[in-house]
This record gives sequence, structure tokens and C-alpha cells, in this order.
Amino acid sequence: MPILTKRPNKTPLGIYIHVPFCRSKCQYCDFYSLATKDDSLIDGFLDAVCDHIKEAGELAPGYKVDTVYFGGGTPSFFGGDGMAEILNTIRRNFDVVSDAEITFEANPDSVSDRLLRRLRAEGFNRASLGIQSDSDEMLKKLGRPHTYAQAVSAYQKIRKAGFRNVSVDLMYGLPGQSLQDWLSTLDTVLRLLPEHISCYGLKIEEGTPFWGMRDVLNLPGDDEQAEMYLSAVEALRSRGFRQYEISNFCRKGMISRHNMKYWTGGEYLGFGPSASSDFAGKRYTLKRDLQAYINGIRDGGDIMEDIQEIPLRERAGEYLMLRLRTSVGIAAQEYEKAFLLPFAPLEEVLEKHRRYYHTTQTDTGRWVLTPRGYLVSNDVITDLLLAQDQSEPMKRI
Amino acid sequence: MTELSKIRNFSIIAHIDHGKSTLADRLLEECDAVDQRVRAEQLLDSMELERERGITIKATAVQLRYAADDGSIYSLNLIDTPGHVDFNYEVSRSLAACEGAVLVVDASQGVEAQTLANTYLAIDAGLEVLPVINKIDLPSARPAEVKAEVEDIIGIPAEDAPEISAKNGINIHAVLEMIVRDVPAPQGDREAPLQAMIFDSQYDSYRGVIVYTRIRQGTVRPGMDIKMMATGAVYKVVEVGTMSPGGLVSAPALGAGEVGYITASIKTVADTRVGDTITGLDRPASEPLPGYRPVQPMVFSGVYPADGSKYQDLRDALEKLKLNDASMSYEPESSIALGFGFRCGFLGLLHMEIIQERLEREYNLDLITTAPNVVYRVTKTSGETLMVYTPLDWPDPMEIQLAEEPFAKVSLIAPQDYVGNIMDLAQQRRGEFKDMVYLDASRVELHYEMPLNEIIYDFFDALKSRTRGYGSLDYELIGYRPSRLVKLDILLNGDMVDALSFILFADNAYPRARKICEKLKDNIPRAQFEIPVQAAIGGKIIARETIKALRKDVLAKCYGGDITRKKKLLEKQKEGKKRMRTFGTVSVPSEAFMAVLKLDDE
Repeated sequence: MPILTKRPNKTPLGIYIHVPFCRSKCQYCDFYSLATKDDSLIDGFLDAVCDHIKEAGELAPGYKVDTVYFGGGTPSFFGGDGMAEILNTIRRNFDVVSDAEITFEANPDSVSDRLLRRLRAEGFNRASLGIQSDSDEMLKKLGRPHTYAQAVSAYQKIRKAGFRNVSVDLMYGLPGQSLQDWLSTLDTVLRLLPEHISCYGLKIEEGTPFWGMRDVLNLPGDDEQAEMYLSAVEALRSRGFRQYEISNFCRKGMISRHNMKYWTGGEYLGFGPSASSDFAGKRYTLKRDLQAYINGIRDGGDIMEDIQEIPLRERAGEYLMLRLRTSVGIAAQEYEKAFLLPFAPLEEVLEKHRRYYHTTQTDTGRWVLTPRGYLVSNDVITDLLLAQDQSEPMKRI
Repeated sequence: MTELSKIRNFSIIAHIDHGKSTLADRLLEECDAVDQRVRAEQLLDSMELERERGITIKATAVQLRYAADDGSIYSLNLIDTPGHVDFNYEVSRSLAACEGAVLVVDASQGVEAQTLANTYLAIDAGLEVLPVINKIDLPSARPAEVKAEVEDIIGIPAEDAPEISAKNGINIHAVLEMIVRDVPAPQGDREAPLQAMIFDSQYDSYRGVIVYTRIRQGTVRPGMDIKMMATGAVYKVVEVGTMSPGGLVSAPALGAGEVGYITASIKTVADTRVGDTITGLDRPASEPLPGYRPVQPMVFSGVYPADGSKYQDLRDALEKLKLNDASMSYEPESSIALGFGFRCGFLGLLHMEIIQERLEREYNLDLITTAPNVVYRVTKTSGETLMVYTPLDWPDPMEIQLAEEPFAKVSLIAPQDYVGNIMDLAQQRRGEFKDMVYLDASRVELHYEMPLNEIIYDFFDALKSRTRGYGSLDYELIGYRPSRLVKLDILLNGDMVDALSFILFADNAYPRARKICEKLKDNIPRAQFEIPVQAAIGGKIIARETIKALRKDVLAKCYGGDITRKKKLLEKQKEGKKRMRTFGTVSVPSEAFMAVLKLDDE
């Protein structure tokens, strides 16, 4: 029986597919993926995801879907036939709107003209290419299975296949990297004229190969990384890119609509091992284990790693934590209306941080972080969360 | 009541780790007094903390029924003694409740500083001291030599001392026979006016205070009106009885020579001071038993709730703890930096740590503790003399004519190879060498006079590490001596943080100030602005560090799969901020205070 019918279908859903396959594991990566192209696993995954989508479609009939995102892992390595089959399954079970944003992630070593033509024909309209660096030496250090020349060639193939919305991923704060190195990487890559750029500061995560080497990696210090970040923001701004999130920049109107859902409280369903969903008031994450996921779907067993019903009070915290990552920011009326909590205590904190040029207000009075504020956003957000903790629900609305 | 000739009251004394508690367990087992199944690791150390730390904090007593080889049943009262220098007075009162003491000496380590100190206490209390050589199962055991040591160093006969292994239960019977044979039976007149000495007391939420006592003269019965001779408190006895290993066993009366408990609906242990004499209200004794002195805390520190709104909770917790521990003191105090809290007095640093741990554990409080200090004596130029319990009360340097600090006589024992190390350490700690005595061919006892302040920090740990654990320590206060003392103030972003001030010897000020600034720099999180950390004496800056402004604190990636995890990270960071105290413009986490306390850890 459908359990999710009572919600009006006004706000469309996002759908995320986690494709847990890669050619090889990068030294810094802590996403769930397997360095394999084992046929039985690939087939098992494909069947499980498609069955899972069907199941979900029955539970949530008639939902409009306006973004689909294939991430990973490396979807391009997984291949066009599989992605097409999954996308078609989504279309059959959900109402994918005609102008939906349909993104796939690709690595330079696994894109071919054939793959790209196939995806374009299936309706994919946005590509996100992992370039990371323009230095072959650095790419090697990072454990990336490609050169910069391959990245350029992949980019050109994507363009040739007709994709007009292309994003590239870059990283800064890399081992031995100087501010000059970084700015020159940015300069080189910008010559490709992408519509969208994500710039991520390298974070050494526990459980990755880099973790054990962190003391000998010669990583730039915090102050240097801060410089890298602020110079990148400035360089991108001067070339006409808008910063719409801490690590994301785009040409006008070219934001990632799918990712924006994560930061603005939109609903999304995730499929595949380790994928997360936020749907019908619950946030849940699927098991970080492909075989367990496959078995769970096949046998009707448990596939959840974690599921939580998020109370309104906690949503109010998420509103601050997530929206302030973006140029959308937060606003008094919107906040008070949604959570019945007073904005005044937050305003005090925001004013305090305005003195350090961390926060500012837009023409319409919305509070947003400045680039400097993004850099210390944890500090600002935790200050706000503290003020929120101490605030009493509003007596008058 | 048991016939006097069938009672033996004794303690077990030993250097730490020589096996006192293990022997006590074996004695209990041998008397079949304990149900093996309900045995905790060490029976007499019943507080959770005691068991964790392996030291006895409070004295307890237990009565054993022993069928001796002579065919009689004896009532053996074993009175345990605390095993740390902080609790010397308690030890002396426990000993005063006995006629004999079993001296446990480790068969391989021989006589140590506390062996000596405790033996002297026992001899001073007029006890028969009966040596026992323990741990003879160890390959390194040298019982014959250790016996000779006992005779030479302590001067008591040890030829016939039982050679035992408490751990393996070897020769325990011989110890019991020795107790029956050699510990004198108690004396006393059960018809005389009541004189009962309190050697411990414990608060019980149902019965009120349970007083552990040794009856010297007379008899005490339920219904009788009693008076504490030092505090003057008067109560009506509800119940008397003895302490069996299984718990309290009520009795119709307790008479001279016996050891037992009294309950009388007493609300606070402050009324039942260790060493005080209980007498009858109607037929009082003409004078109290000798030896009582009110316990004086020697180490003071500010104790504040990490969360200022928990002040009342802290007060309630201290009140409750005080019910059970009369040797701790607390007075409200307020600091500009920390708000409202208490200046608490402790017997020593161990006592302080125990109280803090109990407050945090049993009462679920998060505390900020300021650096401990001793009590200083200052004579002002006006001629007025004051005792300074907190750096907050230290007078302006211009007003000080004479500053004095308490000194202690310190006795250190170690193998002679470590004499050089000990001398270095004692010198660093401003020790004045008195003399050195060879205890035997290889071991040396050194005597120093040293400021108490230098001992209370981490002297014992430093001694242990420089003597590979062989060094042992005992000390005793000898009074105040003039000293060059200064108050060191800490400024954060230009504002003085009074709670970080402390008093120290002038020559130590510079290195200490530098270290404290470094520690604070490492422990105070970066803020939105640069924070100078300065140390000053009387307004003159003598050390400085700078905490750079916060440049980067951001989660670069946060997509659907990251939200739960990143939320937890921020939540944790927020909780950390909650525990910070804001001084002027600077937020200081409680860990920073802890770091300042642990300065000497090089």
C-alpha cells in the first residue's frame, strides 16, 4: 500500500544513484566504491538498483522528479548501458519532468564518444568531470588513473557529444602545492570554459591511504589553504563565475539544481549502497556494502544503515547549517514561519560576525556568509546553533 | 559483649603495594567469614574509586571470629588504615583504636619510607608491632635479609616473623596465631563513664551517620544519650553493633575493649570528627581521650562548574560529600573570570583528585579547577598578618613586608644508585639537604626540608620516575618560613583572568610563565581575532605568546550522504563551545585550565 501519498506533489523530488565502481581507488577518497568490474557484481548491482527503484515507485506513486544524479564511484566506468537502464527504470516508476536536470559523474579515463552519445540520447544533460589537477605528477600522487591531457581530451569529447552544461572538479590544499601552483591550475582549467566548477579543499579522512601518511604529505597549512581558497574565489569572480555554495561556482543560472536540494531542505531519494535519502520527514542511509545491498533487495531484508525521523527543532538547526553554505542564505521571516523560533537571538550572532566581515545581508535582507565567512563557517554556524539552543519557541506568530 | 581476654584489636600497616589489602582478604577467608561468591577484588576497599586506584582512602573495620589453636574463639577486629601520606592523621586515629599492628614487609623490596613512617606511628600509639614477611613466592624474595633489615632499621625483633604469601594463601594461619598470641588483649572498665574514640564515620542516607568507634571505657547501649566531647553535639543512640564482613550486625551493647558502630540519627559527619571522644550525657567522662586534633586541609583550589548555571548543583554535591568527608572544606568564592564557585580545602593532591573525580562521576558535574595552592602567610607593612588561601587574596606587592610559606620535613628512601637523581630533583624543588643515612649496604634514606608547595604538585611522580619506581616518600609539616613569593597573573587579550593567577617562588617565575603561555596558546582555540597571551608580575609583562586569528574552519564537502555525519561534527563543536568560559573577549575551554595544572610533565 502506498504510504507516501498524503504529501502533495508540489515540490518535485531529486533522485541520486550511487554507482560503487571505480577503475582504482584514489588515495584521498572515502566514498564507498569498489575497484572492480566483476560482471556478477555489476549485474547484481544493476538488478538491485532497478528493483529498488520499482519498489520505491510503488510506495511513492505519482511523484514528480526534476533532478537525477549519477554519482559514485565512477558512473562513466560503470558504462552507458547500465546507466541508461537505470534512468529508464526511473522514468517508468516516477514522473520525470521534461526539463529535468540529469547529471552523471565521469572520470577522464573512462569516457568514450560512444558512451557520451548514448547518454546524451537517453536524456542526460549535465556532466561532471573529475579533473582535480593539471599536474600529472600531482595526479599520480593522488592516485588518479589519468593524466591532464586525458582530462582535456575527455572534456572535449563531452562537448562534442552535445553537453552544454559541464562541471569540472578541482582540488586545492594538495601535498606540496603552493598558492602559485593552485592559481595556475585554476587558470589552465578555466581555459576549457566550463559552466560550473567545484573547488574542494583536500581533507584527509580517516580510513583512506592518505590518513596514515598525513604527517609526511607536506600539506599546506591552514593559513595557506585559506589563501588558496580566497584567491580562487576572487579569480573565479573576476571571470564571471558566481559562488553559490562554499565549494561551488557557476556561470549565471548554471547551478547544480540537484545538489542545491541538499542545502535547501529539498526531498531526495538515494539508491545504491551508501546512498542517502531525505524523504517524508526521515533521513536514512543505505548499507555501505554492495553485497549486503544486493542481498537485501533480493530477499526483502534490511538494507538500512541508519534511519532517523528528524524533529522540527533539528530541522531548524539543519536550516542554518545547510542554507548558510549557499548564497541563498537565511531570512528572519522564513525561519520564524517554518520553525516557530525567534530569529532575534540569531541576528545578534550574525551581527557579531558582521564585524569580522564573516556575514553580510543581501538587498532583500537575507543573511549570507562572505567568502571569509565561508572559510570559518563552522565557527559561525556553531555560534548560531548555540544561540538557537537557548531560544524559546515563539509565543506569538 | 565479648570477654576482654578474647578480643584482639589490630591494624595492618605496610608500604603501598606491599600486600596489605591482599593479606586482609586472606585473613577474612581463613576465618571463613566471607562468602567467596560475593567477594569483590579487595574486600575492605569498598569505594569504587578505591578499587580502581588500588589504595585505601577511608578506614574501615571488620570483625572476624577466629577459632584459635588453643581451642578458644577470639573476636579479631581488623581496622584498616588509609595508605597514602595525605591521610596520615586518619592513620594515626585508626592505630589508636588498636593494641597491635601487623607490619607487612615485601620480601624483595624490604623496608620502604611508608613502612618506616607507619611503624613509627604505630610505636607512637603504643602498639605491639608484629612484622610479617610477604611475597615469599617471588623469585626475588630474600626473607632472611629483609628480616635483618627490619631488626636493624626499625629495631623490632623479626626473627620469628611469619614468612607468607598473601597472594597464594601461604602461612596465613601463622599470622592469625601470632595475632592471638602477641597482640595484647584490650583493657578497660565496662562500668566506668563512657569513653569511645571515633576512628571513622560514614554517611548513610537511611540511618544517618554511622560512627565507627573503639570503646575505651564504659558501655554504650541503644537509648543512651551521648555527647561528642570536641564538637559538643548530643544525640540519642539508636543502634550499636559490630561490623561483620557481610555487613552491620546489631548488638544489645558495646563495652570497653570492643570495636563497633553507633548510629544516632546524626545528620552530618562534621559532628563526628575522627579522633573525637564519645561520652555519656548523664555520666560524662572527666576528660576526652588524648590525640584529637581538628583536621586541617593543606591544599586549596578553586572549584567551579564548567557551566555557570550548575552552581547550585555543585553546592548540593559538595554538601553531600562533606557529609561523608569531614576533612574537606569548602567556602563560596567568586572569580571575575569563572563566576561563582568554591574554594575547597583538601588534605593533599590525591585527596583533591579523589574529591574532584567523585564530584564529576557521582554528581555528574563538569568542573573547572584552578591550580592548587598551599596556605601562605603574609605580614603586611601595616603589621597585620593574614593567611592567604587563594591567589585572589594576595596583597599588592607594595603592601607586603614578609611572605612565608609552609615547609615540610621530607624523608626519601631509595637504592643508593639513585641518590644523585634524588638530589637533583630535591634541589630543583628547593629542598634543603639535612642528612643521609645508609639503611643497609644498598639503600639510603635522605632527609630534606622543602616547601610544601613543591611537594604537593607532582613530586611523588617525579621521584618515582627518577628512581624507576624504587623511591619512596614521606613528609610532615614543620611550620612557616620566609620566602620570596610573587603572584603571577595571566592576561588574555589584555584582560587579566584571575582564575589563572597563582603564587610561586620568584626564581621560578620566568620559566613557569613562559611555559604557561605556551600551554594556553596550544589549548585556547583560535578566535576571529589575534589573542595575545601574557604573563605578568605586578603589572610587568614577563612572557608572551600570540594565538593567531582563526583562518579556516570549514567543511568543504556536504552533500546528501554527508549531512548526518557533518551535523554530528558541528554538534560536537557546539558542545565544546558550551563548555568554554568567556573572559572578556576570549573563550577558554576547561581543558586549558587542566593543561595549566599539568605544567610539570616534561
